[in-house]
Amino acid sequence: MKATDVVTTALGNTMRSKARTILTVIAIFIGAFTLTLTSGLGVGINQYVDRALEGFGDQDQIYVQKIADQTETTSQGPQKYDPDEAASDGMFGGMPMLSEGDIETVRGIDGVESVDPTVFVSATYLEAQNGDQYRLTLGAPGQSGSLEYAAGESPARDADEITIPSTWLDALGYDDAEAAVGETVKVGMTNVVGEEQDFDATISGVTDEMISGAGADPVPSSSFNEKLYDYQVSGGPDDTPQAYIAATAVVPDLDQQNQVKTDLSDEGMLGMTFEDQLGAIRGVINAVTWVLNGFALIALLAAAFGIVNTLLMSVQERTREIGLMKSLGMSPGKIFGLFSSEAVLIGLIGSLIGVGGGVLVGTVANAALTGEGGALSSVAGLTLYGIAPVQLLGIVVLIMVIAFIAGTLPAARAARKDPIEALRYE
Amino acid sequence: MEPAVLETENLVKVYGRGANRFDALKGLTLEIRRGESVAVIGKSGSGKSTLMHLMALLDRPSQGVVALNGRPVSELKNKEIHKLRNESFGFVFQQFFLNPNQTVLENVVLPLKIAGVAKRERNRRGMEALERLEMADKAKNKATDLSGGQKQRACIARALVTSPSVIFADEPTGNLDSNTSEVVEEILFGLQREQGITLVIVTHDDDLAAKCDRRIYLKDGEIVQAEEIHADSAGAPAQGTTGGEREDTSTGAHVAPAPQYPATEPWAAPADSDGPKHREEGTR
Repeated sequence: MKATDVVTTALGNTMRSKARTILTVIAIFIGAFTLTLTSGLGVGINQYVDRALEGFGDQDQIYVQKIADQTETTSQGPQKYDPDEAASDGMFGGMPMLSEGDIETVRGIDGVESVDPTVFVSATYLEAQNGDQYRLTLGAPGQSGSLEYAAGESPARDADEITIPSTWLDALGYDDAEAAVGETVKVGMTNVVGEEQDFDATISGVTDEMISGAGADPVPSSSFNEKLYDYQVSGGPDDTPQAYIAATAVVPDLDQQNQVKTDLSDEGMLGMTFEDQLGAIRGVINAVTWVLNGFALIALLAAAFGIVNTLLMSVQERTREIGLMKSLGMSPGKIFGLFSSEAVLIGLIGSLIGVGGGVLVGTVANAALTGEGGALSSVAGLTLYGIAPVQLLGIVVLIMVIAFIAGTLPAARAARKDPIEALRYE
Repeated sequence: MEPAVLETENLVKVYGRGANRFDALKGLTLEIRRGESVAVIGKSGSGKSTLMHLMALLDRPSQGVVALNGRPVSELKNKEIHKLRNESFGFVFQQFFLNPNQTVLENVVLPLKIAGVAKRERNRRGMEALERLEMADKAKNKATDLSGGQKQRACIARALVTSPSVIFADEPTGNLDSNTSEVVEEILFGLQREQGITLVIVTHDDDLAAKCDRRIYLKDGEIVQAEEIHADSAGAPAQGTTGGEREDTSTGAHVAPAPQYPATEPWAAPADSDGPKHREEGTR
């Protein structure tokens, strides 16, 4: 028997006792539907997290923090005060800080292209060419690479450059994004003793705000940011020892990132790539998703026994037909193939309807909940249901495999039938 | 004389072991020549069905040899035996064994479908076989819509569709009234005469047996009487059939038909089947 004939015959046979086939398909449908919904939920939430964190970092960046020195935090009585160490090893709200020495150490690690300590620059104002001044909060220079630009590009590292958000164009007096690029603005700063000074910066690009909120504020280049910071902390009675909460190291070669992380750890610092930070969140989401998927798989397991039951009945009823086919020269292997094809077909029909239904319901529910006027519409950019074609295909294949395995017992029983026994008519 | 198409030598078939041991066949040697019609006659338990199953390669003997066209088949691989059975043999059953959910044509082309013949080709050959049996107009009907005689003609068409060299008929007229039986017998012997198809008929209908070229009487797994008459005298009252065995078989057959199957039986089993003729292996 040809493969196509096996499949068409199997299809004909499944349609023979419709009620039974439909009930078995419903069992598969429930499993496939649930699995499609739960896995789609995982995809949707992950998509949301990706989008919410988009623009906060680049792949080649490693976020560096100081690891708390365990000997200092043990509760073995008060620690002896050492003014030098306290300054550089100081704590900021309980967090250990990076000293200038640490920054130099990071800079010296193989594979690190540059290091920018995270500093908080409080700018006073931004002045446009027309002389108007606006309140200014600056974005972190590290994120400039992953922003979306309406025009221009990210600020050059070593130049006094800055980006401005596209929503500011009108107020600053530019006709459009293209016109703003290359123009100069002034950033006003106030130092420790209250003296004001302004710094010129060239607009290198105009950013669009992303769902994550990145790009909503002007972002300076690293060197410009440092320049502003230097002025901000100047004017004091003494040079305050520098300490930083964190630093961003740029490691262009992604293969070297793990080595850099190890080196950092040897130096008492913790290095995390943007992916590492995302991974921690994803890990939680995936764990929850898999618990939910587990319930769907239990439903599928129950459905698999439905297939076994259906096919065993079918084999019993069709004893004579099997005997006839065998006496007409059909091999046991082909009989096995015929019955396991029936199982796989039931699985295929159930999974296609289930996946289709799951995608439909997931999409509609997502639109109803997170869309205009939905219960969760206040959460910007939230998606509860995502469609991953490969995953959906995987669900269909998985169910067909489960169905095939469920079909092996009845199919083997059919294949073993003795034609003489089967054709006896007592 | 035509060469032998089927031969058996010292054929032994044993079912069960120890106290349950049952010798269905006790060393049968016979020869069936190309183009002849042979009736295998015996009452229940005589081993006639076992013999047919062994010759049709549906079963393997405990001892002895079955040869097809002079070639022993006992040593062949299963796969080759399946192929051989598909190509060389046709089967006509008392119970028809037509699939009630399929059309007559679909039923008829089943052996070709199993052989892997393309759909267009097998439908063409199926229609050819149906035309030969004047059943072409019923090709699209469901098998359940047919009368008993039509069902048996569909069965014969199915047996014929692979152009087999041997047709095995197991009580082919057992479920038919006498008029229909005659028509079906006419068709079977017509195929033998005109196309040289070898006929092996298992029966205990003496009228049918009498029309065969040769009769083999079985009792308790042994040949008790084998006799031959020439084809030209077929149909005439056969001589030498007055043995005790023959008496038994003729009186055993055609007792009041007792319906054996509930109406819900999914397989196309007729309601008016005869007594339990195939109980030979009942002790397995």
